[in-house]
Amino acid sequence: MSEIAAKAPIKAATKAPTRPRRRLIASRLVPYLLLQALIVIATILGLRLLQPNDPDDFALSGFSLRQDGVTLPVTLPHFTASRYSLDDPPLYTGSFTFRRGEAAAGWSVYLPRFSNAVEVAVDGVVVLDSRRDANANRPDRNTPQIAAIPASLLREGANEITVRLFVWGPLKGFLDTVYVGPDAALRPAYETRTLLFVTLPVVFSAWQSILAVILAIMWLMRRREPVYGVLAAAMVLGVVQAYVPPPVPPAATSRLAAVLLASAPIESALVVMFGVLFFGWRWPRYGMLLFVPGLVVFVVGLIGGPPLPRILFLVLGIPTVGLCLFLMAWVTATAVVRRQDAASFTIGCAVTIVLVCWVQDMLTVLEIVSNDRIFVSRLSYSAMLVAIGAGLTWRFARALNQVDSFAGQLVTRVREAEERLKASFVREEERARAAALANERTRLMRDLHDGLGGQLVSIVALSERGHEGATITDAARAALKDLRLVIDSMDDIGGDLMLALGSWRERASAQLRPHDITLDWRVATPQGLPLHPELRPWHVIQIVRILDEAVTNAVKHAQAHRIAVTIETLDASEGPYGLISVTDDGHGFALAGQGEAARAGQTARGLRNMGNRAARCGAVLDLSSDASGTRVRLQLPQRFPDSDAAAG
Amino acid sequence: MTEQGETGEAITILLVEDDAPTCWRLQDALVKAGYEVRSAGTLGEARSVLAGGAPRVLLTDLRLPDGHGIELIREMRQRFPDTEIMVISALGDEESVISAITVGATGYLLKDAFPTDIATTVRDLVAGHSPISASIARFIVRRTQGAAPNSAEPPPGPALNTARLTPREIDILWGIAKGFSYAEIASHLGLSKQTVPGHIKNIYRKLEVHTRSEAVFEAVQQGLIKL
Repeated sequence: MSEIAAKAPIKAATKAPTRPRRRLIASRLVPYLLLQALIVIATILGLRLLQPNDPDDFALSGFSLRQDGVTLPVTLPHFTASRYSLDDPPLYTGSFTFRRGEAAAGWSVYLPRFSNAVEVAVDGVVVLDSRRDANANRPDRNTPQIAAIPASLLREGANEITVRLFVWGPLKGFLDTVYVGPDAALRPAYETRTLLFVTLPVVFSAWQSILAVILAIMWLMRRREPVYGVLAAAMVLGVVQAYVPPPVPPAATSRLAAVLLASAPIESALVVMFGVLFFGWRWPRYGMLLFVPGLVVFVVGLIGGPPLPRILFLVLGIPTVGLCLFLMAWVTATAVVRRQDAASFTIGCAVTIVLVCWVQDMLTVLEIVSNDRIFVSRLSYSAMLVAIGAGLTWRFARALNQVDSFAGQLVTRVREAEERLKASFVREEERARAAALANERTRLMRDLHDGLGGQLVSIVALSERGHEGATITDAARAALKDLRLVIDSMDDIGGDLMLALGSWRERASAQLRPHDITLDWRVATPQGLPLHPELRPWHVIQIVRILDEAVTNAVKHAQAHRIAVTIETLDASEGPYGLISVTDDGHGFALAGQGEAARAGQTARGLRNMGNRAARCGAVLDLSSDASGTRVRLQLPQRFPDSDAAAG
Repeated sequence: MTEQGETGEAITILLVEDDAPTCWRLQDALVKAGYEVRSAGTLGEARSVLAGGAPRVLLTDLRLPDGHGIELIREMRQRFPDTEIMVISALGDEESVISAITVGATGYLLKDAFPTDIATTVRDLVAGHSPISASIARFIVRRTQGAAPNSAEPPPGPALNTARLTPREIDILWGIAKGFSYAEIASHLGLSKQTVPGHIKNIYRKLEVHTRSEAVFEAVQQGLIKL
């Protein structure tokens, strides 16, 4: 029913593939896009609101800039042209007023944002050189700097402050407002910025490194899920990028800078790869093209001089990052449309946030938006990675739980199945037992009917007709003998016909003794007859009855004096088979007197019976009779038939 | 002609059989062979006859009007260990014969046996030959084969401890079960023909559970009872 229901829409979709599908996509995509728009707005608002506040009371904005021999007044924040030389950096000169009575505490100079490096001097004495702090010079981090101004330097009244801004391209130099004032007033703003732009990235990086280890282990244990490995690689790159201090030009280790610059595009490509794999798609071979820009930056960085990789990064790397973010947004949007699950929604929202941050950074770089040149994409990207990693770990743990509960269910199911099986086995066993019992009963009935029944009836008939003595005795003895045979055949002889023949020998000897007939018993082969695991009681009865008939014929009709039974195992190409021969020295049944037609008829019936019995067991009966005696040759089958073919 | 024991006295037989015609038939055959036969139709009668002295041979049916022949055999075995005991059976089925053997009987006599066979069997018995039929031998060897030591349920049929039988004795039983004569068995196993009846007597002794405590011991040995 449900299958039919499930097939119907597919059929409809194949017939008219465009309209319903488009409607479905629209119905899913539109809410998602609306949600993303909301997130964009929220992100922009959040970035605006979370802009750190600086103590404006102590702001110094009016500076005079001396650059390339030209001096002009500027207002901070101020951008300077991109430069590739550290010689003769732009020099900002300003002044502030110091009142000793105002505060007993020491004064500091606080620079919330600058790029790339500053050297601050108060009254000609250098109090701060950020070039010594490698992390402070990273343009992608918004590291603030604060420096205490030695009290002895400060003069009552006007003091001069100079800021030398070192810039290494291709980005423009930037100097935010400079704050000079009591340390107590400046320090909180500095601490806030440090927390946001220095400590937080370190915390994220630490998380990232831990998640990288966890994901790498997951991937190592589950190689067929490369998604973990890809994310781990992205995280490792991010961590390396965050912790390796970038060299300050003109450092000799500028090659390292190239590696660090290459990390961002490669990371973003890895994230796209993760997204594709995470949503269960195949990573296309041409997808590797995404890694090309990063690798180009890397190679150029390795062989080229310092400014070239940075320029390349700006023109190749950053657009690649943007491209990757857009691709990622597209991938997640597709996943949302197709899957409509929490994971795709969450990742989609995270990607949107990072994308907004990237766009904001781009606008900042291009000076379209002024926000004191605070770059947020790296921070948001780290946060996204941590979120994704945490989500993956959560998914992994949930999968483990599912496995646990699955194992529990399995145990219960197996137990249930086992019980059902047991019950059905018991039923089956009972049924089989009942069937076997019924079969056995049928067989017993037939055997008793064949022998005992007829003989008892014959006894009754003989008694009624007033017969005396011998005939009744014979009939009764025959009946008893048959009863013993039936009982005997019920015994488990384990496929060894010799065990049945042993009993038969006793009975036959007892039968022959009053007639003074000797029974020669010869077992030609040591083991007698081959074992027949398939031998069943009814086979035994048939064989013994054949032998009985042969002996009875010899006694009654052939007037034999000696009966020889020979048992041997002969080898045929297909395997050994048994042969039982009963030979007598009587005058043979073929030479029965003319007047004994009735008796001859009886003999013929007996012979026919013997043949039938042999056929039922799959044995071959061979009779030869002449004046010198009769020979009955019973060749046993190699395998006794399972069912009584001739019985029906 | 009178059958006589070693002392020269007539050999006495106690015949316990509740079916009168069968009883007559057996008695006729035995008397004709020269034995002194006293007959009893019930356990009570048999016990009162026994008060007058032990017979040389006890032939008893198992199902009697006032009890089971097994009880009589057990009593006999304890009071008169020298008396040879044989079960009279209509069919010679293992079920009844084996349980009689475990209390001390030696083989069985078929109720419809020919008179000469009856006389021969008793004569052999008195002479110290213990007859064993192929079906009984078969039952015993099947039991030695099938007795898995740890099988949960005992095999069907009467309890029988075959643990004390030696491999040679088991070989002899196999021969009998397969219908070989004593001579054939002796030549197969490299024995003297005369020693085979002795082995068979030993087999009977070993299958016999002598006392109640021994029965318990055997049962524990066989794992039929768990202490």
